[in-house]
Amino acid sequence: MIARALRQTALLLALALLPAIVSGVVQLRWDDAEPLAAGEVRAATVREWGAKVQWVDARPRDKFAAGHIDGALLLNEDEWSKLVPAFLDAWDPDLPVVVYCEGGSCEASHAVARRLREELKIGNVHVLKGGLTAWPVK
Amino acid sequence: MAGKVILLALRTALAWTFVHAGALKIWDFAHAQPATPDFVVAIQQYRLLPSPDLAVLIAVYLPWVEIFAALGLLVRRVQLGAAFTIAGLTTIFMAALASAWSRGLRIECGCFGRDQISTDIPALLLRDACILVAALILLFLDSRAAAVKDRPIFGASGRFTLP
Repeated sequence: MIARALRQTALLLALALLPAIVSGVVQLRWDDAEPLAAGEVRAATVREWGAKVQWVDARPRDKFAAGHIDGALLLNEDEWSKLVPAFLDAWDPDLPVVVYCEGGSCEASHAVARRLREELKIGNVHVLKGGLTAWPVK
Repeated sequence: MAGKVILLALRTALAWTFVHAGALKIWDFAHAQPATPDFVVAIQQYRLLPSPDLAVLIAVYLPWVEIFAALGLLVRRVQLGAAFTIAGLTTIFMAALASAWSRGLRIECGCFGRDQISTDIPALLLRDACILVAALILLFLDSRAAAVKDRPIFGASGRFTLP
């Protein structure tokens, strides 16, 4: 009986493999094929810059505390006025600012980037396309 | 008869739950874009895997396993394996949630993509426990049905026996 269950499970796992490979390839190419929205930058471009950027983490504080890109500064909409002074103290005007949030569909990074441009008049602000997924925290 | 209807309803509900969960992890219907990147992040938040690449592999493969196991519940030839797979997956999900809870992590489950975001881990564990019970009921009934099917119509004595 167990052998039969395992055999059937192996069959189901094998059947799932082919669409998973196809789906994985399509999804990995999706970001490259998709045009950038205004203000977005690809992870590959940031790497070309030698990763010499000022990272800004637009996620809530608890997620930032759980793990973030090395050197990132916390700056989110919820605590905007509280966090801006610390950001301005640490910010290097010579470095481009790259804002990121969770993943492909989060809007927080766009909102924070907009406020950096409009309220703090910082010109060189970008949003990391794909968010943390594009630059996984090791 | 009523028992068969309840069993079919249970099977269909479980199959729908897992097809739904798998599909939402593959495609973000609300934003018309792939959902895998968000699922990779959801997996990483559990902080159980040694490498981000492993999270990507799981994020790509797991939703399809869920979908095929769910569809398998409705195909007689693989029902036993499908129930076994779903029970196994649910046990793994519960272990991951319990581990996150014990470490005080406040994370999003990632169970249904970004469609149903919840950080209430006890409620999620309760929901998974209900799913596990349903899967175990199907596993028990399917294994009993398979045992009856396997039983020889002629017993060890050579005499005809009813299944």
